[in-house]
Amino acid sequence: MTTNLKALTLLALGLFLYSRLSTGTIALYINQRFTWLTPLAALGLILVGLSYQRSVRFRQSQTPISDEHTDHEHSVHGESVASAHEHERQHSVHEHEHSPSWVGLLLVAMPVVLGLLVPPKPLGASAMSNREIGLSSLSVSASPNDRVPLVDTGERTILDWLQAFQQNPDPAAFTNQKAQVVGFVYQDGRFGADSFMVSRFVVTHCVADAAAIGLIVRWPDAAELSADQWVEVHGHFEPGEFARQQVAVLVAEAVTPTAIPEHPYLYP
Amino acid sequence: MKRTIRLLPILILLALALFTRLGELVPALAVSALSDGFQTFVTIFLGIFIEAAPFLLAGSLVSGLIEVFVDQQTLLRFVPRQPAVAALTGAALGLTFPVCECGVVLVTRRLHQKGLPLSMGIAFLLAAPVVNPVVIASTYAVFGMGPMLIGRIVFSFLIAFVIGLIFHLAKPKEVLLPQELQASQMQPIYLQAYPLDQPVPPSRGERAWQALTTAGDDFLDMARYLIIGSMIAAGMQTLVPQSTLLAIGQGPLASVLALLGLAFVLSICSTTDAFVALAFVNIFTPASILGFLVFGPMVDIKSLTMFLGIFQRRTVLYLILLPLLMTMLLALYLNLNVRW
Repeated sequence: MTTNLKALTLLALGLFLYSRLSTGTIALYINQRFTWLTPLAALGLILVGLSYQRSVRFRQSQTPISDEHTDHEHSVHGESVASAHEHERQHSVHEHEHSPSWVGLLLVAMPVVLGLLVPPKPLGASAMSNREIGLSSLSVSASPNDRVPLVDTGERTILDWLQAFQQNPDPAAFTNQKAQVVGFVYQDGRFGADSFMVSRFVVTHCVADAAAIGLIVRWPDAAELSADQWVEVHGHFEPGEFARQQVAVLVAEAVTPTAIPEHPYLYP
Repeated sequence: MKRTIRLLPILILLALALFTRLGELVPALAVSALSDGFQTFVTIFLGIFIEAAPFLLAGSLVSGLIEVFVDQQTLLRFVPRQPAVAALTGAALGLTFPVCECGVVLVTRRLHQKGLPLSMGIAFLLAAPVVNPVVIASTYAVFGMGPMLIGRIVFSFLIAFVIGLIFHLAKPKEVLLPQELQASQMQPIYLQAYPLDQPVPPSRGERAWQALTTAGDDFLDMARYLIIGSMIAAGMQTLVPQSTLLAIGQGPLASVLALLGLAFVLSICSTTDAFVALAFVNIFTPASILGFLVFGPMVDIKSLTMFLGIFQRRTVLYLILLPLLMTMLLALYLNLNVRW
C-alpha cells in the first residue's frame, strides 16, 4: 500500500515537472538558464517511481515473511535473543524512517496539488507591495556577468534602461530618448491619476530571488488601467520627480494592452 | 502486475489534468476568489521546489548507489591511523561520499560500526553535507565562483576538522549510545529484505533497481523537509515586508543570529539550501548568509533528531554548540571586519 503510494507520489512529481515544461509555464518559476535541469529531474523521478514496481515484484518472489526471517536467523546463527531483538529493532527503525505516513506523502505531493488547483500566473503587482522597487538604482546588478554593452535604445528592456540610468545618474541626460518597453501596470498611493509604473521582475535563479523594477510612466489615462494588466508603452524620457527622487520619467505617446510575454521575467 | 493496473488509471487521469489544464477548469472558479497573496505564495513556493528538485534528486540517487554498490570493508583498508590525518580525511571524505545531511547520519553510524575512528567519523558527519560535489555544484550554480562558494567550503572543512580533533580526546563509550558500540553483524540495508542463507547475491541489474528504490525513499524523506522549508520561505516573502527584515538583517550580530536560527528551524537539505539563501541576499549581510550556509548543513532540527538516535545526549549538545559558536564568531568577525 505505502509502496504504491510512494511510487505514485514520485511519478506524479515527475509528471508535474514535465507538464510545466510542455505547457511552457516553467518560465513563470525559474530563470531560463536552469530550464535544462528540469527534464532530467522529471525523467529521474519517473524512473525512480517505476523502480518500486520492479523491487516489489522482486522482493515478493524472494523474501519469506519477516517472522520466519528472525526465527531462522536466531536458530541457525545462534545469536542471542537480545541481539535478534536488536536486529529487529534496527530493522523496524529503518522501516519507520523509510515509510513516511500518508500525511508525509501528501506534503511531498503538495507541489502537484497546488499546481493543479492554482492556475499558473507570473508574479505581479501584489508581490510588489512588500518589496523594495528598483527605480534608478538596481539591487540586482551585483551579478558579475552583466557588463554587456547596452543594446540599441529601441530594443532596451526596462532592465536595460535601469542599467543605463545607473551608469549615468543624471535624469536629464536621457531627455527625448525614445523608448518602447513591455511590462505590467503597478500603482500605489504615490501615483497620481496621470502616472503608473510599467514593471517587470528580474529573476536570477528562481522567483524566490525576484527583484521588482520599473519605469515611471506619465499617461493621462493612467487611472483607467488596472493593476497587473500587461502593456506596451511607446514614449520618450523627460526629467521628473517620483517620491522625492529625481528620475527620468517616460512620457507615453501610446499605451497598448498586450498578452503576457513568453518569458514574463527579465534575466540579468 | 495487479499493482500496476491499480495505479495506471490514477496516473492517466493525473497526466490528463496536468497537461490539458483540465484541473484548472473547476477549481479555478474557487481559487480566483482567493487573494493575490496566495497566488504569489504558490508561485514562489513552486519556484523554489522546481529549482531545487533536480539537486535533491541527484543527492538521493548518489545515496542510493552508495548504499547498494560501495563496499565499506574495502573502504576501511584506507583508514589512516594518525588522529589529525584521520580528521582531515574524514572532513574530505564527502568528496567521494556525496551525501547531504539527511543521509550522512546513517552513513556515519555504519562507518562507526565497522570501526572507523571517532575523529574521522565526526569530521565526516559535519563536513560531508557541504564538502561534496553535489553541494559544491549547487552552491556554484547559485552564487558563482566567489567568496560565498570558497568561504562555505573552507569554513565548513575547518570547523569539521577542529571538532573532529576535539572528539579524538573522547572515548567511544562516552560518545555513542550503548547499542551502537556492538560490532555489528548487520547486512547492508538493501540486503535485509533477503534471507541470510540465500547463496546467490542479487544480480547487478537487480541491485541497480534496488538503488533506484533506495533513492526514491531518500527523496521522499528529504522532500518533506524541503517542502516545509520552501513553504516557510515563500510565506515569509509573501507576508513579511522586506523593510522589516532589512531592519534585522543589517545588525552585525542580529543578522547572524537571525540566519543561524533560521538555518536550524528551516532544516533545508544542503543540496538546496543555497537556493533558499538566495532569497536573503540584499536583505541580510553576506557574512550572515555564509553562516547560514555553513551552519545549516551541520546542525538543524532534522539532523538533531537523527543525532539523538546514535549519540549520547551530552555529545549531541556538543555537536550543536561547538558548530554554533564557531560559525557565530566567524560570521560576526567577518561582519565587523570585512567589506564585501
